[in-house]
Amino acid sequence: MSNEVFTQLVDAHYAPLYRFALSLAKRPADAGDLVQQTFFIWATKGHGLRELSKAKSWLFTTLYREFLHGQRRDTRVSSLEDLPPGESDVAAEDVDRATRMDAASVVAALQTVDEVFRAPLTLFYLEDLSYSEIADTLEVPIGTVMSRLSRGKAQLRAALEQEEAAAKSKIVPFTGAQGRKHS
Amino acid sequence: MNNNEAKFVLGAYRANGRDAGDPTFGAAVAQAKADPALGAWLARARAHDGAMAAKLNEIMPPAGLREAILAGARASRAPKVARRFPTMWFALAASVAVLLTATFALWPNRGAASTTQLTAFAREDTAHGTHGGHGEVEGSLQVMLSQPSNRLSAGVPVDFAALRATGCRTLNFAGHDVLEVCFQREGAWFHCYIVNAADFPAMAKDTAADFEQKAGFGSASWSDGVHRFVVVSNAGLDAVKRLL
Repeated sequence: MSNEVFTQLVDAHYAPLYRFALSLAKRPADAGDLVQQTFFIWATKGHGLRELSKAKSWLFTTLYREFLHGQRRDTRVSSLEDLPPGESDVAAEDVDRATRMDAASVVAALQTVDEVFRAPLTLFYLEDLSYSEIADTLEVPIGTVMSRLSRGKAQLRAALEQEEAAAKSKIVPFTGAQGRKHS
Repeated sequence: MNNNEAKFVLGAYRANGRDAGDPTFGAAVAQAKADPALGAWLARARAHDGAMAAKLNEIMPPAGLREAILAGARASRAPKVARRFPTMWFALAASVAVLLTATFALWPNRGAASTTQLTAFAREDTAHGTHGGHGEVEGSLQVMLSQPSNRLSAGVPVDFAALRATGCRTLNFAGHDVLEVCFQREGAWFHCYIVNAADFPAMAKDTAADFEQKAGFGSASWSDGVHRFVVVSNAGLDAVKRLL
Protein backbone atom coordinates (compact mmCIF):
# COMPACT_ATOMS: atom_id res chain seq x y z
CA MET A 1 0.00 0.00 0.00
CA SER A 2 1.32 3.43 -0.88
CA ASN A 3 2.04 6.03 1.77
CA GLU A 4 -0.69 8.23 0.30
CA VAL A 5 -3.36 5.55 0.56
CA PHE A 6 -2.28 4.65 4.08
CA THR A 7 -2.40 8.31 5.12
CA GLN A 8 -5.92 8.58 3.70
CA LEU A 9 -6.90 5.51 5.69
CA VAL A 10 -5.50 7.00 8.90
CA ASP A 11 -7.16 10.37 8.29
CA ALA A 12 -10.53 8.76 7.65
CA HIS A 13 -10.63 6.50 10.68
CA TYR A 14 -8.21 7.41 13.43
CA ALA A 15 -10.54 9.82 15.25
CA PRO A 16 -13.57 7.47 15.53
CA LEU A 17 -11.21 4.63 16.39
CA TYR A 18 -9.74 6.74 19.18
CA ARG A 19 -13.22 7.50 20.55
CA PHE A 20 -14.08 3.81 20.49
CA ALA A 21 -10.76 2.94 22.15
CA LEU A 22 -11.25 5.61 24.82
CA SER A 23 -14.63 4.18 25.76
CA LEU A 24 -13.06 0.73 26.12
CA ALA A 25 -9.70 1.46 27.68
CA LYS A 26 -10.78 4.52 29.70
CA ARG A 27 -7.30 6.08 29.84
CA PRO A 28 -6.33 8.37 26.93
CA ALA A 29 -2.82 6.95 26.79
CA ASP A 30 -4.13 3.39 26.53
CA ALA A 31 -6.64 4.49 23.89
CA GLY A 32 -3.86 6.05 21.84
CA ASP A 33 -1.82 2.87 22.13
CA LEU A 34 -4.75 0.77 20.96
CA VAL A 35 -5.23 2.95 17.89
CA GLN A 36 -1.54 2.87 17.05
CA GLN A 37 -1.42 -0.88 17.52
CA THR A 38 -4.40 -1.30 15.19
CA PHE A 39 -2.77 0.66 12.38
CA PHE A 40 0.52 -1.10 13.04
CA ILE A 41 -1.19 -4.43 12.44
CA TRP A 42 -2.74 -3.07 9.26
CA ALA A 43 0.64 -1.87 8.03
CA THR A 44 2.50 -5.07 8.81
CA LYS A 45 -0.07 -7.70 7.91
CA GLY A 46 -0.08 -6.53 4.37
CA HIS A 47 -3.65 -5.68 3.47
CA GLY A 48 -4.00 -5.21 -0.25
CA LEU A 49 -5.51 -2.29 -2.07
CA ARG A 50 -8.57 -4.30 -3.00
CA GLU A 51 -9.47 -4.69 0.66
CA LEU A 52 -9.75 -0.98 1.32
CA SER A 53 -13.53 -1.09 1.05
CA LYS A 54 -13.56 -3.30 4.12
CA ALA A 55 -10.98 -1.30 6.00
CA LYS A 56 -13.38 0.39 8.42
CA SER A 57 -14.89 -2.83 9.75
CA TRP A 58 -11.48 -4.48 9.82
CA LEU A 59 -9.98 -1.66 11.87
CA PHE A 60 -12.78 -1.61 14.45
CA THR A 61 -12.72 -5.40 14.74
CA THR A 62 -8.96 -5.47 15.17
CA LEU A 63 -8.99 -2.72 17.76
CA TYR A 64 -11.64 -4.55 19.75
CA ARG A 65 -9.69 -7.81 19.57
CA GLU A 66 -6.55 -6.05 20.71
CA PHE A 67 -8.46 -4.59 23.63
CA LEU A 68 -9.78 -8.03 24.58
CA HIS A 69 -6.29 -9.51 24.29
CA GLY A 70 -5.13 -7.00 26.83
CA GLN A 71 -7.58 -7.95 29.50
CA ARG A 72 -9.13 -11.01 30.96
CA ARG A 73 -12.73 -11.38 29.91
CA ASP A 74 -15.18 -10.45 32.61
CA THR A 75 -16.78 -13.64 33.88
CA ARG A 76 -20.07 -11.84 34.24
CA VAL A 77 -20.44 -11.53 30.50
CA SER A 78 -22.39 -14.72 30.00
CA SER A 79 -24.68 -14.14 32.94
CA LEU A 80 -25.46 -10.61 31.81
CA GLU A 81 -26.81 -12.01 28.58
CA ASP A 82 -29.49 -13.80 30.58
CA LEU A 83 -30.77 -10.72 32.32
CA PRO A 84 -34.28 -9.53 31.44
CA PRO A 85 -34.60 -6.67 28.93
CA GLY A 86 -33.62 -3.27 30.26
CA GLU A 87 -35.96 -0.50 31.04
CA SER A 88 -36.54 1.17 27.70
CA ASP A 89 -38.37 4.31 28.81
CA VAL A 90 -36.60 7.54 27.97
CA ALA A 91 -37.76 10.54 29.94
CA ALA A 92 -37.58 14.08 28.66
CA GLU A 93 -35.20 14.79 31.55
CA ASP A 94 -32.83 12.13 30.18
CA VAL A 95 -32.65 14.03 26.91
CA ASP A 96 -32.12 17.36 28.64
CA ARG A 97 -29.39 15.88 30.81
CA ALA A 98 -27.48 14.40 27.88
CA THR A 99 -27.74 17.73 26.08
CA ARG A 100 -26.50 19.94 28.92
CA MET A 101 -23.65 17.71 30.15
CA ASP A 102 -20.22 18.33 28.70
CA ALA A 103 -18.53 15.74 26.49
CA ALA A 104 -15.98 14.69 29.11
CA SER A 105 -18.71 13.94 31.66
CA VAL A 106 -20.68 11.98 29.05
CA VAL A 107 -17.63 9.89 28.22
CA ALA A 108 -16.95 9.36 31.92
CA ALA A 109 -20.49 8.04 32.33
CA LEU A 110 -20.13 5.86 29.23
CA GLN A 111 -16.98 4.35 30.70
CA THR A 112 -18.89 3.09 33.72
CA VAL A 113 -21.22 0.99 31.56
CA ASP A 114 -20.32 -2.70 31.58
CA GLU A 115 -17.81 -3.43 28.84
CA VAL A 116 -20.07 -5.99 27.18
CA PHE A 117 -22.61 -3.20 26.57
CA ARG A 118 -20.12 -0.38 26.19
CA ALA A 119 -18.51 -1.66 23.00
CA PRO A 120 -21.72 -1.90 20.92
CA LEU A 121 -23.07 1.27 22.50
CA THR A 122 -20.02 3.31 21.54
CA LEU A 123 -20.02 1.95 18.01
CA PHE A 124 -23.72 2.80 17.77
CA TYR A 125 -23.16 6.39 18.92
CA LEU A 126 -20.23 6.86 16.56
CA GLU A 127 -22.90 6.35 13.88
CA ASP A 128 -20.40 5.00 11.38
CA LEU A 129 -21.56 1.39 11.62
CA SER A 130 -25.03 -0.08 11.23
CA TYR A 131 -26.31 -2.65 13.73
CA SER A 132 -25.35 -5.46 11.33
CA GLU A 133 -21.84 -4.02 10.91
CA ILE A 134 -21.55 -3.76 14.70
CA ALA A 135 -22.52 -7.44 14.89
CA ASP A 136 -19.76 -8.28 12.39
CA THR A 137 -17.25 -6.12 14.21
CA LEU A 138 -17.92 -7.64 17.62
CA GLU A 139 -18.53 -11.08 16.13
CA VAL A 140 -21.91 -11.55 17.83
CA PRO A 141 -25.41 -12.18 16.38
CA ILE A 142 -27.59 -9.21 15.38
CA GLY A 143 -30.12 -10.00 18.09
CA THR A 144 -27.37 -9.83 20.68
CA VAL A 145 -26.37 -6.38 19.43
CA MET A 146 -29.94 -5.12 19.78
CA SER A 147 -30.21 -6.64 23.24
CA ARG A 148 -26.93 -5.11 24.35
CA LEU A 149 -27.89 -1.71 22.96
CA SER A 150 -31.15 -1.81 24.90
CA ARG A 151 -29.45 -2.83 28.14
CA GLY A 152 -26.52 -0.52 27.56
CA LYS A 153 -28.71 2.52 27.00
CA ALA A 154 -30.55 1.85 30.24
CA GLN A 155 -27.25 1.59 32.11
CA LEU A 156 -25.98 4.73 30.44
CA ARG A 157 -29.00 6.80 31.38
CA ALA A 158 -28.54 5.77 35.00
CA ALA A 159 -24.81 6.51 34.77
CA LEU A 160 -25.45 9.97 33.29
CA GLU A 161 -27.77 10.76 36.16
CA GLN A 162 -25.17 9.64 38.70
CA GLU A 163 -22.41 11.52 36.92
CA GLU A 164 -24.41 14.72 36.95
CA ALA A 165 -25.36 14.28 40.60
CA ALA A 166 -21.73 13.67 41.50
CA ALA A 167 -20.67 16.78 39.61
CA LYS A 168 -23.28 18.87 41.45
CA SER A 169 -22.15 17.57 44.82
CA LYS A 170 -18.64 18.82 44.11
CA ILE A 171 -19.85 22.36 43.62
CA VAL A 172 -19.25 24.39 46.78
CA PRO A 173 -21.83 27.13 47.05
CA PHE A 174 -20.43 30.61 47.44
CA THR A 175 -21.66 31.98 50.74
CA GLY A 176 -20.11 35.42 50.58
CA ALA A 177 -18.49 37.39 53.36
CA GLN A 178 -21.56 37.23 55.55
CA GLY A 179 -21.40 33.48 55.81
CA ARG A 180 -17.79 33.37 57.00
CA LYS A 181 -16.86 32.79 60.56
CA HIS A 182 -13.85 34.65 61.83
CA SER A 183 -11.92 32.82 64.40
CA MET B 1 -45.20 -6.68 16.90
CA ASN B 2 -46.13 -5.00 20.16
CA ASN B 3 -44.64 -1.72 21.35
CA ASN B 4 -42.00 -3.37 23.52
CA GLU B 5 -40.79 -5.38 20.53
CA ALA B 6 -40.81 -2.23 18.40
CA LYS B 7 -38.74 -0.38 21.01
CA PHE B 8 -36.26 -3.26 21.08
CA VAL B 9 -35.74 -3.05 17.32
CA LEU B 10 -35.76 0.75 17.18
CA GLY B 11 -33.04 0.85 19.80
CA ALA B 12 -30.62 0.02 16.99
CA TYR B 13 -31.95 2.76 14.69
CA ARG B 14 -29.32 5.45 14.31
CA ALA B 15 -30.35 9.00 15.13
CA ASN B 16 -28.69 10.39 12.00
CA GLY B 17 -31.23 8.60 9.78
CA ARG B 18 -28.73 6.41 7.96
CA ASP B 19 -30.90 3.36 8.66
CA ALA B 20 -34.01 4.88 7.08
CA GLY B 21 -33.87 2.52 4.12
CA ASP B 22 -33.21 -0.61 6.14
CA PRO B 23 -36.26 -2.92 5.93
CA THR B 24 -35.44 -4.32 9.38
CA PHE B 25 -36.85 -1.14 10.86
CA GLY B 26 -39.75 -0.69 8.43
CA ALA B 27 -42.53 -2.26 10.52
CA ALA B 28 -41.36 -0.69 13.77
CA VAL B 29 -41.09 2.79 12.24
CA ALA B 30 -44.56 2.41 10.70
CA GLN B 31 -45.91 1.39 14.09
CA ALA B 32 -44.33 4.45 15.69
CA LYS B 33 -46.07 6.65 13.15
CA ALA B 34 -49.42 5.03 13.89
CA ASP B 35 -49.11 4.95 17.68
CA PRO B 36 -48.66 8.42 19.30
CA ALA B 37 -47.20 7.01 22.51
CA LEU B 38 -44.63 4.96 20.65
CA GLY B 39 -43.97 7.90 18.35
CA ALA B 40 -43.26 10.16 21.31
CA TRP B 41 -40.96 7.54 22.80
CA LEU B 42 -39.09 7.26 19.50
CA ALA B 43 -38.69 11.04 19.30
CA ARG B 44 -37.19 11.15 22.81
CA ALA B 45 -34.99 8.12 22.18
CA ARG B 46 -33.63 9.61 18.96
CA ALA B 47 -33.06 12.97 20.65
CA HIS B 48 -31.15 11.22 23.43
CA ASP B 49 -29.14 9.16 20.93
CA GLY B 50 -28.42 12.28 18.89
CA ALA B 51 -27.20 14.15 21.95
CA MET B 52 -24.95 11.25 22.92
CA ALA B 53 -23.55 10.97 19.41
CA ALA B 54 -22.83 14.69 19.33
CA LYS B 55 -21.05 14.58 22.70
CA LEU B 56 -18.98 11.56 21.74
CA ASN B 57 -17.94 13.18 18.49
CA GLU B 58 -16.71 16.21 20.40
CA ILE B 59 -13.92 14.05 21.81
CA MET B 60 -10.78 14.72 19.81
CA PRO B 61 -7.75 12.45 19.66
CA PRO B 62 -4.69 13.80 21.43
CA ALA B 63 -2.36 16.01 19.44
CA GLY B 64 0.32 14.01 17.74
CA LEU B 65 -1.54 10.70 17.54
CA ARG B 66 -1.98 10.92 13.77
CA GLU B 67 1.70 11.73 13.24
CA ALA B 68 2.70 8.91 15.59
CA ILE B 69 0.60 6.42 13.63
CA LEU B 70 2.09 7.49 10.30
CA ALA B 71 5.64 7.52 11.62
CA GLY B 72 5.18 4.12 13.23
CA ALA B 73 3.80 2.65 10.03
CA ARG B 74 6.71 4.00 8.01
CA ALA B 75 9.13 2.43 10.45
CA SER B 76 7.36 -0.91 10.26
CA ARG B 77 6.57 -0.81 6.55
CA ALA B 78 9.21 -3.43 5.79
CA PRO B 79 7.27 -6.61 5.07
CA LYS B 80 8.62 -9.73 6.67
CA VAL B 81 8.31 -13.13 5.05
CA ALA B 82 6.77 -15.56 7.50
CA ARG B 83 9.23 -17.93 9.14
CA ARG B 84 9.02 -21.23 7.44
CA PHE B 85 11.70 -23.00 9.41
CA PRO B 86 12.13 -23.82 13.07
CA THR B 87 14.36 -21.38 14.93
CA MET B 88 17.20 -23.89 15.17
CA TRP B 89 17.64 -23.75 11.39
CA PHE B 90 17.83 -20.01 11.20
CA ALA B 91 21.48 -19.73 12.06
CA LEU B 92 22.34 -22.24 9.36
CA ALA B 93 20.09 -20.52 6.82
CA ALA B 94 21.61 -17.15 7.66
CA SER B 95 25.08 -18.58 7.19
CA VAL B 96 24.12 -19.93 3.79
CA ALA B 97 22.65 -16.55 2.86
CA VAL B 98 25.86 -14.79 3.87
CA LEU B 99 27.92 -17.25 1.86
CA LEU B 100 25.69 -16.84 -1.17
CA THR B 101 25.84 -13.06 -0.91
CA ALA B 102 29.62 -13.16 -0.59
CA THR B 103 29.86 -15.57 -3.50
CA PHE B 104 27.75 -13.37 -5.74
CA ALA B 105 29.51 -10.20 -4.61
CA LEU B 106 32.96 -11.64 -5.27
CA TRP B 107 31.96 -13.26 -8.55
CA PRO B 108 35.20 -13.71 -10.54
CA ASN B 109 33.74 -12.55 -13.83
CA ARG B 110 31.20 -9.98 -12.81
CA GLY B 111 29.35 -9.90 -16.08
CA ALA B 112 29.14 -13.65 -16.40
CA ALA B 113 26.43 -14.24 -13.81
CA SER B 114 23.41 -15.88 -15.37
CA THR B 115 19.71 -15.13 -15.09
CA THR B 116 19.34 -18.39 -13.17
CA GLN B 117 21.85 -17.18 -10.60
CA LEU B 118 20.18 -13.79 -10.35
CA THR B 119 16.83 -15.48 -9.76
CA ALA B 120 18.41 -17.69 -7.08
CA PHE B 121 19.85 -14.58 -5.45
CA ALA B 122 16.46 -12.86 -5.52
CA ARG B 123 14.73 -15.94 -4.12
CA GLU B 124 17.26 -16.17 -1.30
CA ASP B 125 16.85 -12.51 -0.45
CA THR B 126 13.06 -12.80 -0.49
CA ALA B 127 13.28 -15.64 2.01
CA HIS B 128 15.84 -14.19 4.36
CA GLY B 129 16.43 -10.53 3.59
CA THR B 130 15.32 -7.60 5.70
CA HIS B 131 13.10 -5.73 3.29
CA GLY B 132 12.14 -2.11 3.19
CA GLY B 133 13.11 1.07 1.45
CA HIS B 134 11.89 4.60 1.20
CA GLY B 135 11.76 7.67 -0.96
CA GLU B 136 9.25 9.33 -3.25
CA VAL B 137 10.62 7.67 -6.38
CA GLU B 138 10.29 4.22 -4.86
CA GLY B 139 6.83 5.12 -3.56
CA SER B 140 5.67 6.02 -7.07
CA LEU B 141 7.06 2.80 -8.50
CA GLN B 142 5.46 0.84 -5.67
CA VAL B 143 2.06 2.37 -6.47
CA MET B 144 2.46 1.53 -10.16
CA LEU B 145 3.46 -2.06 -9.39
CA SER B 146 0.52 -2.44 -7.01
CA GLN B 147 -2.14 -1.45 -9.52
CA PRO B 148 -4.03 -4.61 -10.54
CA SER B 149 -4.57 -3.30 -14.07
CA ASN B 150 -0.87 -2.78 -14.77
CA ARG B 151 0.76 -5.65 -16.64
CA LEU B 152 4.47 -5.58 -15.88
CA SER B 153 5.34 -7.08 -19.25
CA ALA B 154 4.02 -3.86 -20.84
CA GLY B 155 6.83 -1.92 -19.21
CA VAL B 156 8.06 -0.81 -15.82
CA PRO B 157 9.22 2.82 -15.56
CA VAL B 158 12.62 2.66 -13.85
CA ASP B 159 14.98 5.52 -13.14
CA PHE B 160 17.73 3.37 -11.70
CA ALA B 161 19.97 6.22 -10.52
CA ALA B 162 17.12 8.18 -8.93
CA LEU B 163 15.80 5.12 -7.13
CA ARG B 164 19.21 4.27 -5.74
CA ALA B 165 19.93 7.85 -4.74
CA THR B 166 16.64 8.44 -2.94
CA GLY B 167 16.51 5.46 -0.63
CA CYS B 168 15.37 2.43 -2.59
CA ARG B 169 16.79 -0.72 -1.03
CA THR B 170 19.98 -1.57 -2.88
CA LEU B 171 21.75 -4.94 -2.79
CA ASN B 172 24.90 -6.22 -4.38
CA PHE B 173 24.95 -9.12 -6.80
CA ALA B 174 28.16 -10.15 -8.56
CA GLY B 175 29.62 -6.73 -7.88
CA HIS B 176 26.70 -4.75 -9.26
CA ASP B 177 23.78 -2.91 -7.71
CA VAL B 178 20.39 -4.57 -7.48
CA LEU B 179 17.34 -2.50 -6.55
CA GLU B 180 14.51 -4.15 -4.67
CA VAL B 181 10.95 -2.86 -4.37
CA CYS B 182 8.23 -4.63 -2.39
CA PHE B 183 4.62 -4.31 -3.48
CA GLN B 184 1.26 -5.93 -2.97
CA ARG B 185 -1.43 -7.35 -5.16
CA GLU B 186 -4.37 -9.54 -4.26
CA GLY B 187 -3.28 -9.33 -0.64
CA ALA B 188 0.08 -10.98 -1.35
CA TRP B 189 3.56 -9.49 -1.23
CA PHE B 190 5.84 -9.50 -4.26
CA HIS B 191 9.48 -8.50 -4.44
CA CYS B 192 10.79 -6.92 -7.62
CA TYR B 193 14.55 -6.98 -8.22
CA ILE B 194 15.99 -4.72 -10.89
CA VAL B 195 19.47 -4.66 -12.41
CA ASN B 196 20.98 -2.68 -15.26
CA ALA B 197 21.13 -5.02 -18.25
CA ALA B 198 24.44 -3.43 -19.28
CA ASP B 199 26.05 -4.72 -16.07
CA PHE B 200 25.38 -8.31 -17.09
CA PRO B 201 26.28 -8.84 -20.75
CA ALA B 202 25.94 -12.62 -20.36
CA MET B 203 22.22 -12.24 -19.73
CA ALA B 204 20.05 -12.02 -22.81
CA LYS B 205 18.42 -8.65 -23.38
CA ASP B 206 14.83 -7.91 -24.33
CA THR B 207 13.47 -11.31 -23.45
CA ALA B 208 10.02 -12.60 -22.53
CA ALA B 209 9.50 -13.87 -19.02
CA ASP B 210 10.90 -17.14 -17.74
CA PHE B 211 8.84 -18.55 -14.90
CA GLU B 212 10.07 -20.85 -12.17
CA GLN B 213 8.62 -22.43 -9.05
CA LYS B 214 11.27 -23.47 -6.54
CA ALA B 215 11.69 -23.80 -2.78
CA GLY B 216 8.18 -22.51 -2.17
CA PHE B 217 8.62 -19.36 -4.26
CA GLY B 218 7.29 -18.47 -7.69
CA SER B 219 9.44 -16.19 -9.82
CA ALA B 220 9.54 -14.46 -13.17
CA SER B 221 12.59 -13.07 -14.91
CA TRP B 222 12.48 -10.84 -17.99
CA SER B 223 14.25 -7.93 -19.62
CA ASP B 224 13.08 -4.81 -21.48
CA GLY B 225 16.51 -4.35 -22.99
CA VAL B 226 17.65 -1.70 -20.50
CA HIS B 227 16.90 -3.50 -17.26
CA ARG B 228 16.40 -7.06 -16.14
CA PHE B 229 13.63 -7.74 -13.67
CA VAL B 230 13.07 -10.64 -11.33
CA VAL B 231 9.84 -10.83 -9.35
CA VAL B 232 9.58 -13.32 -6.50
CA SER B 233 6.68 -14.23 -4.25
CA ASN B 234 5.57 -16.99 -1.93
CA ALA B 235 2.02 -16.50 -3.23
CA GLY B 236 2.58 -19.13 -5.93
CA LEU B 237 3.58 -19.20 -9.56
CA ASP B 238 0.09 -18.42 -10.84
CA ALA B 239 0.03 -15.20 -8.82
CA VAL B 240 3.37 -14.22 -10.37
CA LYS B 241 2.13 -15.03 -13.86
CA ARG B 242 -0.89 -12.81 -13.36
CA LEU B 243 1.42 -9.82 -12.86
CA LEU B 244 2.72 -10.06 -16.38
